[in-house]
Amino acid sequence: MTVSSASRPSLVSHVADVNNTNMAATEDQLARLSKVKDIITKASQELKSIEVNREIDLEFDVGNLLVTDKNTLDEEAVYDPDTRPAYLQSLARDGIQALMSKVWDLPSHTEDNAVFVTLPKTTTVLPREKPVPKEKALTKWEQFARDKGLTKKKKDKKVWDHILKRWVPRFGMKKVQADKEKNWVKEVPGNVDPYEDMFAKEKELKRERVAKNEYQRLRNIAKSRKLKVPNVGVTGNDLATSKDLGVAMHHSRFATASKGKFQPTLPNEQVPKGLGKKRKHEQITGDGRAEKKRYMEVLKKVEKNELNLSTAVHKQIREENIEADLAKKGGKKQLRRSKAGGRHRTRSDHRASKLGKGIHESRKQKI
Amino acid sequence: MTVMQRVVKPKNPRAKRALVKREPKIIENTKQCLFLHGKKTGEFMRKCIKDIYALKRQDSKLLQSQDQLLPFEDILPVERLAHEHDASLFAYASHSKKRPNNLILGRMFNHHILDLIELGVDNYLGLEDFKNKKITVGNKPCMVFCGTQFEDLVDYKNLKNILIDFFRGVEATDVRLQGFEHALLFTATDDTIYMRSYKILLKKSGTRIPRVELEEIGPCMDLKIRRTKFASDDLKKKACRQPKHLKIGKKKNQSRDVFGTKLGRIHMTKQDLGQLQTRKMKALKKSSAKAKATNNEASTSTAEPMEVSQE
Repeated sequence: MTVSSASRPSLVSHVADVNNTNMAATEDQLARLSKVKDIITKASQELKSIEVNREIDLEFDVGNLLVTDKNTLDEEAVYDPDTRPAYLQSLARDGIQALMSKVWDLPSHTEDNAVFVTLPKTTTVLPREKPVPKEKALTKWEQFARDKGLTKKKKDKKVWDHILKRWVPRFGMKKVQADKEKNWVKEVPGNVDPYEDMFAKEKELKRERVAKNEYQRLRNIAKSRKLKVPNVGVTGNDLATSKDLGVAMHHSRFATASKGKFQPTLPNEQVPKGLGKKRKHEQITGDGRAEKKRYMEVLKKVEKNELNLSTAVHKQIREENIEADLAKKGGKKQLRRSKAGGRHRTRSDHRASKLGKGIHESRKQKI
Repeated sequence: MTVMQRVVKPKNPRAKRALVKREPKIIENTKQCLFLHGKKTGEFMRKCIKDIYALKRQDSKLLQSQDQLLPFEDILPVERLAHEHDASLFAYASHSKKRPNNLILGRMFNHHILDLIELGVDNYLGLEDFKNKKITVGNKPCMVFCGTQFEDLVDYKNLKNILIDFFRGVEATDVRLQGFEHALLFTATDDTIYMRSYKILLKKSGTRIPRVELEEIGPCMDLKIRRTKFASDDLKKKACRQPKHLKIGKKKNQSRDVFGTKLGRIHMTKQDLGQLQTRKMKALKKSSAKAKATNNEASTSTAEPMEVSQE
């Protein structure tokens, strides 16, 4: 880009000599002179060319290649459509020239026979496209790994398999195929039921593992979104709080026929108190007015001779229905042969079964 | 919500990559631009929008004619289109009797409209009207804004911001010195904004900094602001919020001396000089005998209350 400056002064001095000596020059000499003058003026112009002088200094945002010119415009030049293109071009030229001076002063480096300049950070505030991403909450594993100080170890994509004697991918379709090749036969250990399908068992276990992983993934998502996920009775209790564990243990004790009363405790097990339904006992001492009231009400109900019309009607209807059913089925006592396959049921049995009480003990068929 | 936080996981890596590309990031992707036009735009505006698309070729899509969109009335179809193509800038050209040669520029934040500005195009000269060699596609342009209106008037200020956003292209860090080819000029007067586009020619000068010469390549248009719909202050603030990672905080209380050693400053609480541990002088200690003597004096005196100062 640079032109050797040594040549310039010599040219100027040569021309000066020419001017002084020849006063009455010939035409072609004059022509040559003017030509040389033109070149010199042009050259001298070019020397000053990179200067840009404005009233108000231009503002730059070099990171965005932006120039802001706050000078007042020559209104006439702009409004007149003849002068407009030239004037606008001159404005632009000055702006870009000033920008280039700034850019050329930036730190540069050369790569691949090209000179690169590192642009500074942009100063214009432009709105973002999308909001700033929120910080991700750590998953349960990530938290544990961080606490314990575990680092991520880079694993190879392929693993050497000495049974198959080749490199097998660590995961994926090819790995599954290789495993199939290896495990074409499965040993049945001594303590396992011989009729059990070992391959099916393996598949089932795999399915369980996948399901567990999926559950844990969803649980992590729910945790990050602050949603509640039931912890008890889904999979293992590795995430439960002590309260949740207490509830789980209570459920496991309570869900017996005797409501956990005769459930033996494990060594060091503390039965949690305060779980389950609470029964409020009434006071033994104190005034017995409420108790008396209650018992009197019961007595009244037992002793009363009131006719409850609706109940009487319903009772009658029910009895009629039972009679009708018995008549249809031929429900008289058939001791020998019965349509109900040996079990003969009487009217009272029918009534009882309709009322939801089941057949009388003595009439139940005993195997 | 990141890709990893989706309940339904992407089924293959390709789908995952597409989703990752679209999610919010600390350092964002270059803003994509959509160029739209209605069914009855007319050749003039279609040429105009095609030329601007040619200028901004790299990160933009020119869609086929859409059903009549009215961004100022109902912005939802535009938002939907922008969401589909993951674009946050759009330009919509239309022509009607009431609003001839209409160009609407808009930008989005989080797939919702942020700013909208309607411009009228006059005195348009397209790329083909300038018969000269053009620049390479996808060049980052140098922009010049002239005129005091860009600083004083709110509409012009916002328009300047939108134009910078529109035309700036990739946020480049390293630029090749020979790569400055394109220049855009926006001159503001009281009623119009003149947009001109030039090709930069770098000529030899006496110094290492080259002389700049410009050659107009087009398109060239005169714009008039018609309608505007800018974002509210708090939405603008929200959109301009930068992540903390990008902010460089000043490191306080650290300095380096001449030799390069790192020096630090520690600020201490004020010392209680009364509690200073000095050398113990037994003679200066108030002995127990002396203390008893003062107590006896106090007890013997009857009527007068005496102040006994504790030491």
